[in-house]
Amino acid sequence: MGYRAENLLSLLKAATPMILGVLGVIFLALPLRLFEGWAPTPIVPLVVVFFWSVYAPEFLPSVSVFFIGVLQDLLTGGPLGLWAAVYLATQFIVMSQRSYFMGREQKVVWLGFALATAGASLMLWLVMSLMSGALLPVGSLLAQMAATVLIYPLFGMVFGQLHRRVLVEG
Amino acid sequence: MEFLGQDKREGLGRRANSRFVLLLLILVSTLLLLSSLYSAEASVFKKAREGVIDAAAPVLQHLSAPIAWFNDLVGGVGDYFNVLEQNKALREENAELRQWMNEALELRKVVAAYEGLQSYQAPPEADPVDAFVIGEANDAFARSMIVNAGRSKNVESGQAVVGDKGLVGHIVHTGSKASRVLLLTDIQSRVPVYIEDTGLEGILVGNTRARPVIAITESADVIEVTPGQRVLTSGAGGVLPRGLPVGVIDSEKSGDILVDLFADYAETRMVRILNYEFPAVDEGAVTETQDGEAEEAPAPAEG
Repeated sequence: MGYRAENLLSLLKAATPMILGVLGVIFLALPLRLFEGWAPTPIVPLVVVFFWSVYAPEFLPSVSVFFIGVLQDLLTGGPLGLWAAVYLATQFIVMSQRSYFMGREQKVVWLGFALATAGASLMLWLVMSLMSGALLPVGSLLAQMAATVLIYPLFGMVFGQLHRRVLVEG
Repeated sequence: MEFLGQDKREGLGRRANSRFVLLLLILVSTLLLLSSLYSAEASVFKKAREGVIDAAAPVLQHLSAPIAWFNDLVGGVGDYFNVLEQNKALREENAELRQWMNEALELRKVVAAYEGLQSYQAPPEADPVDAFVIGEANDAFARSMIVNAGRSKNVESGQAVVGDKGLVGHIVHTGSKASRVLLLTDIQSRVPVYIEDTGLEGILVGNTRARPVIAITESADVIEVTPGQRVLTSGAGGVLPRGLPVGVIDSEKSGDILVDLFADYAETRMVRILNYEFPAVDEGAVTETQDGEAEEAPAPAEG
């Protein structure tokens, strides 16, 4: 019993980043309408992907990232594979820059996240413009990405505590 | 289950392996993207979308209720501060509506007289299904909502969805208990419309902005529209019924006619899905129908 419970717990711990990513996707599909629809909903899965790619990629395998992205594509009705490609590209770039981020100040990591978000935005905009055959307005995309960058410190702190105290030590 | 835990973290060659998988998955996503670019929607993908909508529906339904409650609460606080102004506006609107009511009652009599004529054939009526908005794509480019009615209530792709103010969009994917509504502002949205009093037919094209534009389909002349003219669905293409209110002309900017939508997507909580079937045309009735249409659409010279 004890052994099985422990196993279950470790499984749950290993799956936590993915579960958070899935929750972030559901968050994106809810009719939140923050501030009567004026504030865009932050893209929490992007924070999840970035955070665990920097600090502990082994907790968020690419398969999970792919799953989160495809789920978001299916649920929000966008072209299939778009968000999966964006998240995976983010993970790829972040993991190649990992050695730079390790042990840096939070501010530097935040800046890194802003850059990753800008890259993701550019990719999204290019693909969607290509698909619709016209250059799309960037206003709402920039607003949503700005909201995502703004919430990063808060989520980064919470995820950091969760990762250190529960997933690794607990 | 050890492989999912931390024990294998330090394993040799794990990094290389994971990079390979990562690149492989990037390739897979790109291929998926290209395939959706190439063929609009394969049936496998469509099934997957419908399955995900169905699976997510109970979760969304349970979570959207407290969100609606909270938004009501916040909105209620705002209302409290401008209750006097609202009262005044409502009184004015009420007076105006009373006049409309009288006019409508008169018209009802006239219509009843016409319906009493022997040759009158009632047009097919829409069979509405009411549904709540339980989900919404909070995406910069994809604009859609998820409503809690699906195939079990005879909801099908293509059906019009209206809110309390006007057209909201149309159904694109149907699960068994929930469906996706493509909003008029989505880049994929194309709705045939006409501009009242001008006889101008066009297609309302979504572009992710709050105000979609009209692409005029049949007119060689200079197009003149005035802000405030109503825009209604034209029924062309035989998907959406004719005459659903869409919005009013907002302005004309560098050849684009912007439409101010009646539907307020930040306020849309409940919608009505119109299960409308176009009347089948039988051979004998063709000439009659054509005459009817000619009368309905006035010549541009008139407007």
